[in-house]
Amino acid sequence: MDDSRKYLDPKVLSRLSGLALRARLVVEGYVSGVHRSPFHGFSVEFAEHREYAPGDDLRYLDWKVFGRTDKFYLKQFEEETNLACHLLVDTSESMTYRGPAAAMSKLDYACCAAASLAYLILHQQDSVGLAAVDRDIRALVRPSTNPSHMEQIIAVMENTVPEKKTALGPIFHELAGRFDKRGIVIVLSDLFDDIEGMVKGLKHLRHRRHEVVLMHVLDPAELEFPFDQTTLFRGLEQAQQAIVEPRALRRAYLEEFNGYLRRLKYACRALRMDYVQLRTDQSLEVVLSSYLASRGRR
Amino acid sequence: MSAPFPYLLAFGFVNLPLLGWLAAAAAPLLIHLWMRRKYREAPWAAMEYLLAALRRQSRRLHFEQWLLLAVRTLLVVLVVLAVAEPYLERPLLGLAPPGRTHRVLVLDGSFSMAYQPAEQTRFDRAKELAREIVESAPAGDAFTLLLMTSPPQVVVGTPALAADEVAAEIEALRQPHTTADLPAVVPRIREVIETARRESPRLVRHEVYFLTDLQRAAWAPRVSKAAQEELRRQVGRLAEAATLMLIDVGQPAADNLAVADLRLLTAPAIAGRTCRFEATVKSFAAQAATRQPVELLVNGRRVAQRHVDVPAGGEATVAFEHRFDRPGDHAVEARAEGDDLLVDNRRYLAVPVRRSVSVLGIEGRPSGRPFGGAAAYLAVALAPGDEPGLSPPFDVEVAPESAILERDLSRYDVLAMCNVAQFTAGEADVLSAYLRGGGSLLVFLGDQVMPDRYNRALGPAAKEANRLLPAALGPVVETPEGRLDPLEYRHPMLEAFRGAEHAGLLTAPVLRHVRLEVPDDTSARVALRLPGGDPLIVEQPFGRGRVVLVATSADTSWTPMPLLPSYVPLVQEMVAFCLADRMAGRSILTGEPLRGIVAAAEGRTSVEVRTPEGDRREVRLSGLGNQRDWTFPATWQSGVYAVRMAAADEQEQLFAANVDTAQSDLTQVDLQRLGDEAWPGVPFEYKTTWQEPERPQPMALRGGPGRLHVVLLAAALLLLLAETFLAWRFGYQTQP
Repeated sequence: MDDSRKYLDPKVLSRLSGLALRARLVVEGYVSGVHRSPFHGFSVEFAEHREYAPGDDLRYLDWKVFGRTDKFYLKQFEEETNLACHLLVDTSESMTYRGPAAAMSKLDYACCAAASLAYLILHQQDSVGLAAVDRDIRALVRPSTNPSHMEQIIAVMENTVPEKKTALGPIFHELAGRFDKRGIVIVLSDLFDDIEGMVKGLKHLRHRRHEVVLMHVLDPAELEFPFDQTTLFRGLEQAQQAIVEPRALRRAYLEEFNGYLRRLKYACRALRMDYVQLRTDQSLEVVLSSYLASRGRR
Repeated sequence: MSAPFPYLLAFGFVNLPLLGWLAAAAAPLLIHLWMRRKYREAPWAAMEYLLAALRRQSRRLHFEQWLLLAVRTLLVVLVVLAVAEPYLERPLLGLAPPGRTHRVLVLDGSFSMAYQPAEQTRFDRAKELAREIVESAPAGDAFTLLLMTSPPQVVVGTPALAADEVAAEIEALRQPHTTADLPAVVPRIREVIETARRESPRLVRHEVYFLTDLQRAAWAPRVSKAAQEELRRQVGRLAEAATLMLIDVGQPAADNLAVADLRLLTAPAIAGRTCRFEATVKSFAAQAATRQPVELLVNGRRVAQRHVDVPAGGEATVAFEHRFDRPGDHAVEARAEGDDLLVDNRRYLAVPVRRSVSVLGIEGRPSGRPFGGAAAYLAVALAPGDEPGLSPPFDVEVAPESAILERDLSRYDVLAMCNVAQFTAGEADVLSAYLRGGGSLLVFLGDQVMPDRYNRALGPAAKEANRLLPAALGPVVETPEGRLDPLEYRHPMLEAFRGAEHAGLLTAPVLRHVRLEVPDDTSARVALRLPGGDPLIVEQPFGRGRVVLVATSADTSWTPMPLLPSYVPLVQEMVAFCLADRMAGRSILTGEPLRGIVAAAEGRTSVEVRTPEGDRREVRLSGLGNQRDWTFPATWQSGVYAVRMAAADEQEQLFAANVDTAQSDLTQVDLQRLGDEAWPGVPFEYKTTWQEPERPQPMALRGGPGRLHVVLLAAALLLLLAETFLAWRFGYQTQP
């Protein structure tokens, strides 16, 4: 591991102050310069056909023409618009959780990931915007390609104080109405909300032809429930609390939680959305790069 | 209405107090509650799923918790019950309890049980069988333990349920060297059974096990007819109260040889002067012992050896001579070994060796002339002439009457009163105390003597504590002419004159004497009578000492005897006889108590007794007044006991404890005769080995496969495994 990569470990990132620095480390350390940008622009205005030449992108082959003429033609569009990426960061109280094995809270991790993506997208001259949400839209930054836009995005994330419960379903509905330009919506959240409500909201986004990527930020403790002492668990978003013998309840909890994950993943597949699980103890660079690489291969 | 806990009450427990540990069964619950109070707090985001899991698993979790708690509690209960060793006491679920038996173990403690024909003595074999009886007995049976010794010893007098503790008591028993006193032990057994009936009514059966070599001397003792009848009656009553079993650990044909006696012939023993000893070796064998070696040991060192032929069933004597170089107590032992019963092959004697015997002559009529007083004749008689190179054996001082009160009389071995007119009450008290302390008193009369005053101060008219004279003094009478009557020389004082009539004792003339009246019901003995039948010499023991009363004078005023040659040996024999008592107190039979006196002025509170086995015991002093008594009853071993008066004392007082060779005959009692004559109609079982009889229910049998406490322990083990599995299954184990 070279020097730049070793700083991408969450434990190291957690010690760095400032999201901008973190994002730069993540993106410049590994992502940029190594891969082709995984995000592409869209255009619906068809212009003309052009004969295929080796090396052209096969995605734009017009198969109907091939069927009629037995020749390969590529579809060419009027103009390629810039990518508009909307980053949705969940800033509810549940995102402040940080388990015993994690170096940073889920919110810190989500902000770090959002900043990295923003940095990356701006770097490839595309536009990126941000929405900090809980049960309301706490802050909204319109997409822009201006490099100085990055500072605004980071300032919003750094100044957001998590204090409310999550209600993502209505938020998705509202944002679907607000995002007038078709683009990519990347949701960074623990998604601890009613799945059906969320799915309805996501459907709305998909209906508006947005590509949606769910980045599910989870603490390893939430996935493994590694406690062994009798513990009074206090809900972060709920007033409820419970004294639990963790060793006795572990299996039941994991069954519940994995059932929730299964339902969530099923919904993502049904809506043809990407589901990416971000564990806060994992290296952000590894998670992002492997996801971006998989996107790049599509 | 049935009992509240019929099932629990059907059981008894060997270790009932241990049931108190059942309180520990609350420990799992308390730990559970404590653990619930002791938790840490943590924030949690995925609360919805945790609560959902809790809701879904609530009943299961409660069930698991209660199941584990129940298993853990039951585990503790089972272990406690098993340790308390339950047994079935009442019928339960078709099982009948075996019934509880009180087993009285009576081990023969006579020294014949030390007979060792092979690796094991008879006593070891008896202990082994006793342990087998205890260990094979069903749980719930109780045991008591006695030793058939003289006197009998009750080792465990209250029925004990803990078999292992009784076995430990049996293991700790040491072979006593006493005789077996059957007439004394039978009433003690009955007392033990009566106590058990009174205090432990659940013991429904009583069984008495005599583990014995069935020696005839013990089982058919030679006692009077009345005593035999009493024994028969006692045994009959015992048989009514209990089942009797004789378990024979003896051998039918066993020869034996014993040293039956060891005597010092030349008492008192004086340092530097040759002492003569005589040992008697007795045979209890069918064949004569030829050239049987007999050794004499002094202070553990062999000083002489002789060989003697002992006829079959007869006896032979061996004479030894030894000169003690220094004064003090010496342990003398005669040893004739060579058979399988060593205990009676050794005979012990404690010999106090003196530099000299100190005699204080109290002169009733002091005179400045040589031989002016009677005490002067005594002094000459005790120290007739110097022997070259030897100090005189008697150290005689003559003093006036005032010395009785003025001097420390305990320094003198013998006081000789010569023509003392009378005694005051104070003098009588002093003399009485002197005798109780072990001193001896020779009283010669004379013309000054006032018989009434003697009788009032020291005789029958005196207070009881001071009645030390062996006879009442009557009037002074003229003595008829004739020969003295030695009464067949039966008295030890005159034994030296037997066959020596030429010494002139019997022809010695006595002109006048005080008529002595010897009461019939006392221990006073007449040694020599005057012509006409009046006693001349009367003696009796008093306290730890002895009083010898001579009816005539010590000088020539009433008899010319002091001028005759027989006077010297007569006086010396009288003094030696008085001192022999001191040696007699130093020799006891095993089982008899050792006794002694210490002057109160010395300020001691205890003496230390060292037994022949080397154990040291502290014995507290008792009594009031000028003297303190000590008594040491535990003389179960033969040998020499050393008594140290104080820690700083270099000098020890020695005492010899010997076996009673009356029981050295190892012949066994004829069982047929025992059943027909000695114990007619008394049922008893005879065995040579032990096997626990079959019992109807094996439920509570100790040692059987159905032992209740073993079942409980096995159940506890299963529960332990189940607890481990359940805790793992339920996820209560600590995560690795």
